[in-house]
Amino acid sequence: MQQTETAQGYVKNIWDTVKTTLVGMKITWRYMLQKPITVQYPDERMPIPDRYRGIHYLEQEKCINCLACARACPIDCIEMEAVRHGKELEWISFTLDYQKCMFCELCVYPCPKDCIHMGTEYAFVTFDRSEFKHDLLSFKGMAREARIRMKEAEAKKAAKDAAKAAGGGKSAEKGGEG
Amino acid sequence: MSGTSAFLEGLKAGLGEFVPMWALWLGSALISVAIALGLISLIAMFSVWLERKVAGHIQCRYGPMYVGWHGWLQSIADGVKLLLKEDLIPRDADRVLFMLAPALVLAAIVGAMAAYPLAPGILFADIDLGLFFIIAMSSMTTIGVVMAGWASNSKWTIYGSMREAAQVVAYEIPLGVSLLVPVMVAGTLNLREASAAQADFFGMGWFMFKNPFMLPAFLLFLVAALAETKRAPFDLPEAESELVAGFMTEYSGIRWSFFFMEEYAAMFLMSAIGAVFFLGGFESPLTHLAGQLFGRDLVVVGAGPEFAFTAINWGALVYQLVAGGTLLVKSFLGIFLMMWLRWTLPRIRIDQVMTMGYKYLTPLALVCVLGAALWEAGWQALVRS
Repeated sequence: MQQTETAQGYVKNIWDTVKTTLVGMKITWRYMLQKPITVQYPDERMPIPDRYRGIHYLEQEKCINCLACARACPIDCIEMEAVRHGKELEWISFTLDYQKCMFCELCVYPCPKDCIHMGTEYAFVTFDRSEFKHDLLSFKGMAREARIRMKEAEAKKAAKDAAKAAGGGKSAEKGGEG
Repeated sequence: MSGTSAFLEGLKAGLGEFVPMWALWLGSALISVAIALGLISLIAMFSVWLERKVAGHIQCRYGPMYVGWHGWLQSIADGVKLLLKEDLIPRDADRVLFMLAPALVLAAIVGAMAAYPLAPGILFADIDLGLFFIIAMSSMTTIGVVMAGWASNSKWTIYGSMREAAQVVAYEIPLGVSLLVPVMVAGTLNLREASAAQADFFGMGWFMFKNPFMLPAFLLFLVAALAETKRAPFDLPEAESELVAGFMTEYSGIRWSFFFMEEYAAMFLMSAIGAVFFLGGFESPLTHLAGQLFGRDLVVVGAGPEFAFTAINWGALVYQLVAGGTLLVKSFLGIFLMMWLRWTLPRIRIDQVMTMGYKYLTPLALVCVLGAALWEAGWQALVRS
């Protein structure tokens, strides 16, 4: 509302008020009739772009505990711990501290086995701060396959040793004979 | 004779032997107050839900969606939450006034509700000065608001109530004066009679079409009613973005909800006044049809010594329901218009509010009254000659 002293200005003020109000009402009416652009969030979600960088996921079977991702991390938020039994790994932990993580994706590129990825999950809500230190492991200890492989390897080794021992015995016998 | 007094007469004839008259009178008064309170809560609940849906859709959102179909039970959930909330009173507040203010606000609006006609024959009170009574009672709420602001002992609340006082003083005048225009045409302040005067032209003989000064008067009334009910763009007493919550800042729980019930009930009553005095009240082609089919009897329950609920006049009941429903729909359309305006226009400054009230609405309302009076006089002279 302008402060005008003339009668013309007075009438113009009234006219402007009515007109601009009607223009605004027309706009809001149009918005009211259109379909809402929001989605009912927890039930439905907006489509996520292909290269979205959400919470990581780890293909644990492939991982070789080489620490390449932990070294690449600019803020050192990745920690991992595993015990090696011959060729197989016994997993203890693989944690990512999401209080620090800035989702830069730098941990993904150096991975020699291509086993750490950026996921699509973005709603990470907890009741406790400590839960932000998120464990990416899908299982602890050793994988079933790894255990089987290890058992097979042990059995093989035992058989080989036994064969060796038997062979050694033979030779000894031979030696005894000879 | 109106429905309630006929009802009371019937009760007297039926129960007069067993119950003293004062008990009958007190009982029916208490029942009326209970109905009015229930009506106010229902209106407030429905309006809150409507407001949230309208706001949501205007902003391309959904609004409440989870509690019931499209969230229609959300208000009940909120009501339960409000009842369970802690009832806080600030340490330095004036305890008596602080507790009195919401009660006064609610009492005033329940009083105003007494003049709202539910249907042509179903009324709380058939007051000859009905319009005057509603306006007087709903401005009483201002005292409660100012009291709340003062008693809370906080700068936000006192600013809010100062603005409320200034605003109501400024806008009471154009509100009353613009309502004089239809009152002049109707020749009555009684809501039921004013509505009945618009029954011609198959229920479309609304005052709106009876006088060329009626449309500007209606627009002036609309603006003044918005300011009177503290709705945006005149919601300066609340002004969330500047005054926290204005005069309600220190209130919580059920006391806070009293202010909200008052706001929505006041909106409803203002819309009802607008509907009765500009937009035909009970009258619409549908009401006309119902009147033609079932007659326009006002008394639903049989009165007199043979008083009994078995003597219900079904035709009259249908007519009353159609007429009452028409007014209800018109009132809620008025509320919808207020909401639509609220979510369209930004809040204006207090000096702009004052300018608009004193420099624009008041003179224009006076011009409307003068023009309508001359038109009516000229029309009457023409008819007489």
